[in-house]
Amino acid sequence: MSKTKWTGLILGLIGFIFPLIVSFPGLSLAGHMAMSIFLMAAVFWMFETIPIYSTSILVIFFQVILLSAEGFIDYSSTMYEPLPYTQFISTLADPIIILFLGGFVLADASVKYDFDKSMTRLLLQPFGSQPKFIILGLMLVTAVLSAFMSNTATTAMMITVIIPIIARMEPGDPARIAVALCIPFAANIGGIATPIGTPPNAVVIAALNLQGVEVAFSSWMLYATPIAIIMLIVAWFVLLKLHPPAVEILTLNLDGKLKKSRNAIILYITFGLTVLLWVTEGVHGIRSSIVALMPVAILTLSSAFDKQDIRKLPWEVLWLIAGGIALGISMKETGLAEWMVSSISWDQFGYLMLLALFGIVSLVMSNFLSNTVTASLLIPLAISLATSGIVDGVAGMMMLGLVVALSASFAMVLPISTPPNAIAISTGMLQTKHMIISGSIIGLIGLALVLIFSVIYWPFIV
Amino acid sequence: MEQKIYILVVEDEPDVLDSIVRDILSFEEFFPIEMADAAEEARDLIQELLDNDHQIGLILCDHVLPGDNGVELLVEMQKNEATSQTRKVLITGQAGLQETVRAVNEADLKHYISKPWQKEELVGIVRELLTDYVLHHVKNPLPYMQVLNSERIAEFIRKGGGPSDQ
Repeated sequence: MSKTKWTGLILGLIGFIFPLIVSFPGLSLAGHMAMSIFLMAAVFWMFETIPIYSTSILVIFFQVILLSAEGFIDYSSTMYEPLPYTQFISTLADPIIILFLGGFVLADASVKYDFDKSMTRLLLQPFGSQPKFIILGLMLVTAVLSAFMSNTATTAMMITVIIPIIARMEPGDPARIAVALCIPFAANIGGIATPIGTPPNAVVIAALNLQGVEVAFSSWMLYATPIAIIMLIVAWFVLLKLHPPAVEILTLNLDGKLKKSRNAIILYITFGLTVLLWVTEGVHGIRSSIVALMPVAILTLSSAFDKQDIRKLPWEVLWLIAGGIALGISMKETGLAEWMVSSISWDQFGYLMLLALFGIVSLVMSNFLSNTVTASLLIPLAISLATSGIVDGVAGMMMLGLVVALSASFAMVLPISTPPNAIAISTGMLQTKHMIISGSIIGLIGLALVLIFSVIYWPFIV
Repeated sequence: MEQKIYILVVEDEPDVLDSIVRDILSFEEFFPIEMADAAEEARDLIQELLDNDHQIGLILCDHVLPGDNGVELLVEMQKNEATSQTRKVLITGQAGLQETVRAVNEADLKHYISKPWQKEELVGIVRELLTDYVLHHVKNPLPYMQVLNSERIAEFIRKGGGPSDQ
């Protein structure tokens, strides 16, 4: 085990034990237990002492043992009404998890039948042969795909598209770096556009649901897609400014055929229908998590998606999200989150400063940590600010949620910030300094834009 | 100590050994190259690497060697669990049909390169075989992406191998 992991293990254990031996005034017994779990999870997630999805399961496990009615601690003499243990374990099948499951099945089936590649060829065609428009095209395609598929898988697929492009460019052309960077950046940005685009969105939406705030698929898109589009264009400008193309013409090789087997066609229809039902949720009102069961059912009953494919789904990502949701539940139910935010006098902060604070913390944290972990740690605190009346009710809660989720996705400074960044660096096509410079600019503009949206746009549509 | 994936080159003529190693030097940073001039020395080297928890990803082996010949060494490696997955290449001018067939059947020979070889050919074969090895035996292939076939590694990640969203 490495030194960092040892440090994490020791700090995590200290964090776990600390609330058990120290008594905080104003915090209930259950609150102390929840704090033990919170501190342990925070440290383990930060140091990656154990795999992050494993920390999530540990969170659920400890909640069942320490905080549930079936657990080992007798709360009968306290104010805390222990939750049934099913409440903690059912986070693994939370509606948002089912929504993601539907998304994963669609995405993996798309990969299986090369639908992602076919879409890429189709969507890239109108962008001609000028390098700057090709880069714009690559970014748009990447963003659209990563709004519905995993950012990582989208990046990996697009890397196979740009390798031949870069190979045909002159070795000294600065635009090689723009081409290599535009993919992970567009994938990170595209993830914010829909609820299923990236896991932090799930954690935030689930936390809002817990407060009784339903977020329709179409409403999220209404809030977040405009900002994704603006950020794509911003990123495009920044990359072209820093790495201007040296040539006028680039050739794209868009060979390849749309698969036309029975199963492939079933996938195309299912994909189209599901996405259509998702984005029109505001019109028909059928919840997106219910719609999500449809592709799972259709693709498996038709054997377009078989047992082997089911086994290969990224289950650990669902665990990771579930742990984040569960952590929020215990922090809310035991009063821990409220206690934590009440120890700071927020009144001196203006409303906008509060949003900015959460945005900055989220952006900074998720540059170093997993985006989902960042959202999981911040959202319970943000939400309790809203419930304790420091910011304005439902609208305030919604906006804090959006600020946390979106800022987490705008963190793309370092190779470790997101898996798409790591993939781009690993190709050897660019250096870390290129990523740091443009990633910082884009992150800061993103944060500013989120704050601008929370003043001039969201208050009027939430 | 960090586990590494080694390339082993077995060749008895010093000039030829040098020129093989020179041609594949671009892999050295990620896949350290070890050399031996006889099967006996190669055996000791393999044992030493395995004892230190390293793996042997690829062996480029001449056939005619002092003592045991190359094909014999490869067959022996195939029988050993720790080296059965090593990608095996004969690089020779003098292996007869019978010996070569034995290498294919009993040592799962991945490639036969006849001397003299072209540098690009050798580098290409080494890159593909190491990519094979890494995709089958390494949990996270990303660190090797830039020296290997990056399209194949990207395709592997697209299909759900390696990292996922977090």
